[in-house]
Amino acid sequence: MADPTNAAGKKSNKWKEIGLPLGIAAALSALGWYFFPPVMPHVQLPAENLTHHPLISLPMPIGDIYLTNTLVATLLIDVVLIALVIAVQKATKSGDLIPRGITGVFEALLEALYNLTETTAGKWTKVIFPYFATFFLVVLVANWMELIPGVDSIGWLHEVEEGAHGAIAKGPFLLAGEGHYGVVPWVRVASTDLNFTIALALVSVVMTQVIGVRALGLPYFTKFFNIKAIFTVKPWWMGLIDFFVSVLESISEIAKVISFSFRLFGNIFAGSVMLFVLGYLVPILVQSAVLVLETFVGIVQALVFGMLTLMFMSLATHPHGGEHEEAHA
Amino acid sequence: MDAQSIITAAKLIGAGLAMIGAMGGGIGIGLSAHGAVQGIARNPDVAGQIQTNMILGIAFAEAVAIYCLVVALLILFVIK
Repeated sequence: MADPTNAAGKKSNKWKEIGLPLGIAAALSALGWYFFPPVMPHVQLPAENLTHHPLISLPMPIGDIYLTNTLVATLLIDVVLIALVIAVQKATKSGDLIPRGITGVFEALLEALYNLTETTAGKWTKVIFPYFATFFLVVLVANWMELIPGVDSIGWLHEVEEGAHGAIAKGPFLLAGEGHYGVVPWVRVASTDLNFTIALALVSVVMTQVIGVRALGLPYFTKFFNIKAIFTVKPWWMGLIDFFVSVLESISEIAKVISFSFRLFGNIFAGSVMLFVLGYLVPILVQSAVLVLETFVGIVQALVFGMLTLMFMSLATHPHGGEHEEAHA
Repeated sequence: MDAQSIITAAKLIGAGLAMIGAMGGGIGIGLSAHGAVQGIARNPDVAGQIQTNMILGIAFAEAVAIYCLVVALLILFVIK
């Protein structure tokens, strides 16, 4: 007889454990909603300049380079990654063979990534792994910066141009209402700037070609301009088809840059827009659920970016010509 | 009705229409998850490999939907 009551008691305890923090969080966000009603988010695609004067002025095709808020985020990514490197290196140099804390996390993570690389890349693992792991870590840190409160919401107050939607500024705060002020955040997630994602995509695609040439030598480029096939393949029209396939291959190489960059950009930009719009529409608890989703999206996109790089690079090291052999390898 | 509000209306309709393309991505992701789950049910030992390939396939299928999203965002926020 004692058992069921005990179980019920445990159950209610569990609900208390979950319900109490949830209730407190709801009450706090309701209070916040009452005193600081959410400001309608202003969505802007290009990154905002933080300074009026350009950092560097280059000749015309490039033009002026300003300190944008996504550039600040990119520098922060570098700082975070270098700090992690130093921490892990210190721990490994100390001679302690048992990984603890951050070192243990990194050992587990990099081991999983290394095993993944080994199953795909074979003997080129040691060449390809650094690119894969670096892309994964950079994109992961960039994406997860979105989850830090204050990113995208703390910055200079400035007057918006005529006709745009503004809010009221009161002291250092931006309050909801009809006004003329907007906020230029100091830090904006780097992946929401196309410059960042295109740069990563270009590095990935160019290094794929470099690894392809390292693996196969100059014949690697017959993948793109297979003029030889017209003369060597027996029925001449089959050779012509091979040539057109190679032309398509070179087009798809350029499309890779677009698909890499727009996938990352679109996912993260849409994620941060959704975060702010939902935070504006339903300011209680819903944003927390979106934050969980964004954590997941951030790691999946980082993994996808890294894994596609890994796939393309290991495909580039395979000698082409026999699609069927590749399928079995 | 002035010209500006007509343009705004057209922008909103256009952005909505652009997102129709997300349907294709949804179908593709559903199909790849369907195939992957069936494969894992038949042979649970290779679940890890199947998952890896499924995520890659999903990434490719999803890219198409993301293009639509980018076009919709461009229509909404960039084109004046």
